[in-house]
Amino acid sequence: MSRFFQAEVTGNVLLSRTHNILKITPLQPHTMPYPGQFYLLRVSGTLDPLLRRPLSILRWDEDGLEFLIRLKGRGTLLLRNMKPGERIDLLGPLGNGYPEPVDGETPILVAGGVGIASVYPLIERFRPEVRLFYGAVSAGDLYLVDEIRGLTRNLHVSTDDGSMGFRGNAVERLTAYLDGSSVPSPVVYACGPEGMTKSLLGMLRRRGIPGHVSLEERMACGVGACLGCVVETVRGYRRVCKEGPVFDAREIAV
Amino acid sequence: MNLSVKIGDLALKNPVMTASGTFGYGEEYAEFVDLSLLGAIVTKGLSLKPREGNPPPRIVETPAGMLNAIGLQNIGVERFIEEKLPFLEQFDVPVIANFFGDSIDEFVGAAERLSRADGIDGLEMNISCPNKQAGWLVFGTDPEVTFEVVSAVRRVTDLTLIVKLSPNVTDIAQMARVAEDAGADAVSLINTVTGMAIDINTRRPKLANVTGGLSGPAIKPIGVRMVWEVFKAVGIPVIGSGGIMSGEDAVEYMLAGAAAVAVGTANFVTPTATTDIITGIRDYMAAHGIGDISTIKGGLLWEREDL
Repeated sequence: MSRFFQAEVTGNVLLSRTHNILKITPLQPHTMPYPGQFYLLRVSGTLDPLLRRPLSILRWDEDGLEFLIRLKGRGTLLLRNMKPGERIDLLGPLGNGYPEPVDGETPILVAGGVGIASVYPLIERFRPEVRLFYGAVSAGDLYLVDEIRGLTRNLHVSTDDGSMGFRGNAVERLTAYLDGSSVPSPVVYACGPEGMTKSLLGMLRRRGIPGHVSLEERMACGVGACLGCVVETVRGYRRVCKEGPVFDAREIAV
Repeated sequence: MNLSVKIGDLALKNPVMTASGTFGYGEEYAEFVDLSLLGAIVTKGLSLKPREGNPPPRIVETPAGMLNAIGLQNIGVERFIEEKLPFLEQFDVPVIANFFGDSIDEFVGAAERLSRADGIDGLEMNISCPNKQAGWLVFGTDPEVTFEVVSAVRRVTDLTLIVKLSPNVTDIAQMARVAEDAGADAVSLINTVTGMAIDINTRRPKLANVTGGLSGPAIKPIGVRMVWEVFKAVGIPVIGSGGIMSGEDAVEYMLAGAAAVAVGTANFVTPTATTDIITGIRDYMAAHGIGDISTIKGGLLWEREDL
């Protein structure tokens, strides 16, 4: 088993002008991931762009891995343009993903934008009743909604412009939900943009709710060597690629 | 086929070393690379006391390269010796401890402590760091300060002493001669080239530290040129680095005068880069009928007699 392996692109589904799902099949023995872990994908065989791109694992089985990719720059454009049959090499699974809830805890999932990629495996893990608060800018920015509805009956959608579901963000929706119902020993699992993460951490702190939050930072090596991807925690700088990407909400400096 | 080279008292089984700061303390890459196959392991830069490093963002990708401003985060010499060195001792590979200080006393203190530890085979001084006593001017950009700090370290260690040179100087050959005169057994170059990148939409620097060190293929021509200039200027071995991604790149540096090479940013792109490069050097030797790698050192052919 190796965490550095060759693979073949077996599918590339363009979901919109900004998002695609890349499907790959490893050509060598590889290690199975668990929810919240990520891979570093080489985006081309050339030296520019140079660095690999970190992507959360969306779905996996014996035959392959799937990644939900948001178009952001040159690297993700190359990943968007990949064709079935092309070769790609991957490093992973990397990092610490989401821990299991402790006895009696009720998991609540929160995803913002492409953060759904990181949270998605937990919907499968905790099916069929898990509460998921999924927010995006607009209805067109919500992905995998039909698949998610097949996995949980407890989806709470929000959009900033109100074009689908609650008008506002996922944290506001969750806050209103918590005010109006009693969830026994809630524990939050979350991944989203920086603004969402910040307001979520504040809310969890005020209410004394535990959480596991996936963070993002620019990354080079992915194996803890370069110290490029650190975030500030109550115990000093910690590496997103090694101690993270999922951190205990109480540890993240705000 | 003989790939072995000598750097000071160190016998390397091949000329491929790791570049400081790109291979952690070795253990991070042990899953991907048999560390015993490497010429030498150069550790993450160590200081007498642990360092927190710079706030994020610390890195940004640039054309065919990357900028970093890690800020020399490290666990300090004591913890390195206690927690990291025992792991490296399992492997049949020379360990070169890279170290730095922000004063001559700190350089000397770190060198003394590292020299007393079992399992460290050589030292590499990073003089591309700011000098507290000289208004935070970088040690390695001033010939007199370079002479002073290298001489001071030379007095307290019998280990093979390598001085890593900054390319951010007008005359790198002069800095290399100063290091040699002060007692260095070898010089390694180049360290990263100071650079900067701006987000034009926010008008903010892309690194929290504003400036950072450029590495990767983008700087290879600078490194090759500087190695050539230094090779002509000193008698001690030169270790070449800067954007080496393949065996061909390593050979290019050796033709310019490098006795050995250090592989850095390539580790981030391909975790097996070091051993891939050793294979690439073997392939070049086989293709060109070269039996001993040291025979290509400084093998550049050129016409201009005035250079």
